[in-house]
Amino acid sequence: MIRISVPGSLGYRELVLRAVESSCKLARSAGEDVQEAGHVSLPRAEPFEAEVVSAIGEAFNNIALHGYGGAATGRVDLEITPAPDQLTIVLRDTGKSFDPHAVPAPDLVHLPESGMGLYIIRSFMDLVEYTPGRDGAPNVLRLVKQMRRVSPEARSLQRAQSDPQRRPR
Amino acid sequence: MHFSRIDGDHVTVLRVEGELDANTAPELRPTLDQIVADRRRRVTVDLSGLRLIDSSGVGALVSLYKRVRAQGGNVHVEGASDQPLAIFRLLRLDAVFGAAAV
Repeated sequence: MIRISVPGSLGYRELVLRAVESSCKLARSAGEDVQEAGHVSLPRAEPFEAEVVSAIGEAFNNIALHGYGGAATGRVDLEITPAPDQLTIVLRDTGKSFDPHAVPAPDLVHLPESGMGLYIIRSFMDLVEYTPGRDGAPNVLRLVKQMRRVSPEARSLQRAQSDPQRRPR
Repeated sequence: MHFSRIDGDHVTVLRVEGELDANTAPELRPTLDQIVADRRRRVTVDLSGLRLIDSSGVGALVSLYKRVRAQGGNVHVEGASDQPLAIFRLLRLDAVFGAAAV
């Protein structure tokens, strides 16, 4: 597990995303070891990293801009767990919490200029769990991205590389 | 982030490199406002050097797109790849920006 704690301000966004990018590579390399044994199928690096980095970037923005109101009055603690089958990232902050269910989906047809952050997070991650902080406990955002192939080309490659009976996760 | 604006006779080329995000989008905004104020009708946004974009960066480009269109012009976004292209596709902006051909 990797732990990083930074002030909740946009100035630390790039540092956090570099760490996340690096963790994606670690998760993939952990996956490569078990992929050889046919236990897991790996996604291509670029979309996997792009999607995880996009999601965490939006989550960090939300905390810095809305949770702490741009004032960096608290910290963001990240916990990154790369595993062969999935990458889990937990963000904790003590800023203002929000109700994810009260955030409407953006109306993409009308080209919104804001309100796309949570949509990006939900679209790119497989699991999004948000627990608002209470009684001094921090807000907890838990994000999971599964290791799996998504494109048809990747699927056929996976079939060629491993047991034909094994279905992609 | 680095950016440059080059005005040709007909086309304005805006090149944005590096990261266009919540941190850097405010630096680009005055240039976008000026392009609109100058009533440039044909704007090409070259993103071939863009490494990362977030929803704030997207918001800035969409705002430019809408305002130039409202003045009867057009904005063509080209050169997006990797993470920025993934975001444009998710938000269905690849077709809007003309980025699908990259």
